Amino acid sequence: MSTLLQTGNFIIESLGTFVETSGFMAFFVGDGWKFLAMLGIACFLLYLAIKKQYEPLLLLPIAFGMLLTNLPGAEMYHAELFAGGHVHWDIFVDNAGLIDYLYLGVKLGIYPCLIFVGVGAMTDFGPLIANPKSFLLGAAAQLGIFATFLGAYALGFTPNECGSIGIIGGADGPTSIFLTARLAPELLGPIAIAAYSYMALVPVIQPPIMRALTTEKERKIKMSQLRQVSKTEKILFPVIIAIVISVLLPSAAPLVGCLMLGNLMKECGVVDRLSKTVQNELMNIVVIFLGISVGATATAASFLNAQTLFILVLGIVAFSFGSASGVVLAKIMNLFAKEGKKINPLIGSAGVSAVPMAARVSQTEGQKADPSNFLLMHAMGPNVAGVVGSAVAAGILLAFLG
Amino acid sequence: MDKFANVGWPEMLLMALIGFLLVFLVLVLLIYIMKAMGWFFTREHKAKVAASAATPHAHDHAISDQELAAAIITALKLYKSNLHDQESEMLTINRITRAYSPWNSKIHGLTQVPEKK
Repeated sequence: MSTLLQTGNFIIESLGTFVETSGFMAFFVGDGWKFLAMLGIACFLLYLAIKKQYEPLLLLPIAFGMLLTNLPGAEMYHAELFAGGHVHWDIFVDNAGLIDYLYLGVKLGIYPCLIFVGVGAMTDFGPLIANPKSFLLGAAAQLGIFATFLGAYALGFTPNECGSIGIIGGADGPTSIFLTARLAPELLGPIAIAAYSYMALVPVIQPPIMRALTTEKERKIKMSQLRQVSKTEKILFPVIIAIVISVLLPSAAPLVGCLMLGNLMKECGVVDRLSKTVQNELMNIVVIFLGISVGATATAASFLNAQTLFILVLGIVAFSFGSASGVVLAKIMNLFAKEGKKINPLIGSAGVSAVPMAARVSQTEGQKADPSNFLLMHAMGPNVAGVVGSAVAAGILLAFLG
Repeated sequence: MDKFANVGWPEMLLMALIGFLLVFLVLVLLIYIMKAMGWFFTREHKAKVAASAATPHAHDHAISDQELAAAIITALKLYKSNLHDQESEMLTINRITRAYSPWNSKIHGLTQVPEKK
């Protein structure tokens, strides 16, 4: 009888221990509700990625990384291993979970650069080479970065955090992650989510700004056809840009160098296999690792606070400023341009990176004003200039604050 | 110690201003480099255009072989695009084959109606 009682007690105790250590119990202890809230947010982001198709290639792994990291008791990501902006190698091997290992690629700045190799291999810089003035529009659109840099400071963020928040205005996901992982790694989750969400919302955010800042007559401006760019020019372009920018701004060398390496692979025509690999297999693999590990940094403790809300608001301000400043500069350039050489100001907003979505928005808005107007190739110039511009801006911020 | 402990609004404003100007300067420098490259690679083409513009009589009435070929091809294309094939309006099914496969075999089918008792 007593043996039976002992066995019964043992079973009850074991079940009790099982229930206490289960993740479900953790939801109802202390701040456990935050895990539930984060799981809800992760599911909402999954909905946006799958149903609404908002940048699904990145938002889906980010959202799932967020889901994994907020499973109580799963211990897949340990923020303390990266506390203070450094990898704590002394305790790393003994304590690291799967996502900790994946996160090393973000922390060490490997993934954003590898993605830039792929982006470079998919980008045609022809329109920019044909019309170098597009660099000005790409530069103007970076105003959003520096305006938001100041806005973030006004809201009480530290200078390093301001730099990371401001770079959202560049509308360039890998650049945002690259800079934030170095300047303010604790904000990586919210900043990556803001950057990619707003990139997906380009067709919603930009058109009202573009219409508000231009007249009907300006939107109907037809631009002269771009000149043909020779293959030699296309091959020389990445080499020259990589040398010039890396010498001027060594801190921007990893991003710009990788971008130009990818582009050279595409344009030279002798390494087709490599070019296809970086555009497809490598890019896809890195996107999976990057998405999961960046999403995993969005733990309840780092995400559910007023800072995240501020970042989301500042992100949209940065983006709007960037779009507006590109349009305004195009209008200013028109004041000095000869008749027939005028720029359609709608292409100015494409100066924020978001390739090629921002250029497509310029094309769509231009066709609304005049269906026979084709602005896509003209808008691709500022668009790819924006990629270079945001990488340069990131390099400058890193040089100032890093 | 935090290296930005003593940073205030003046320093932040200066940083933003210098940062933005630097972005502009770097990209303006790239414009000039690209323009120089463009000039270098288009100068031969421009020289040819200028030379042909200077001697208009040589080409005024002459038609090159390539232009002649293009005109003939265009004419043929236009002519052929106006022709319509005469198609037989009778549609005949010549052959019906139904390759054997266990998947479409009635012997192996599961369509046998159960007997009612």
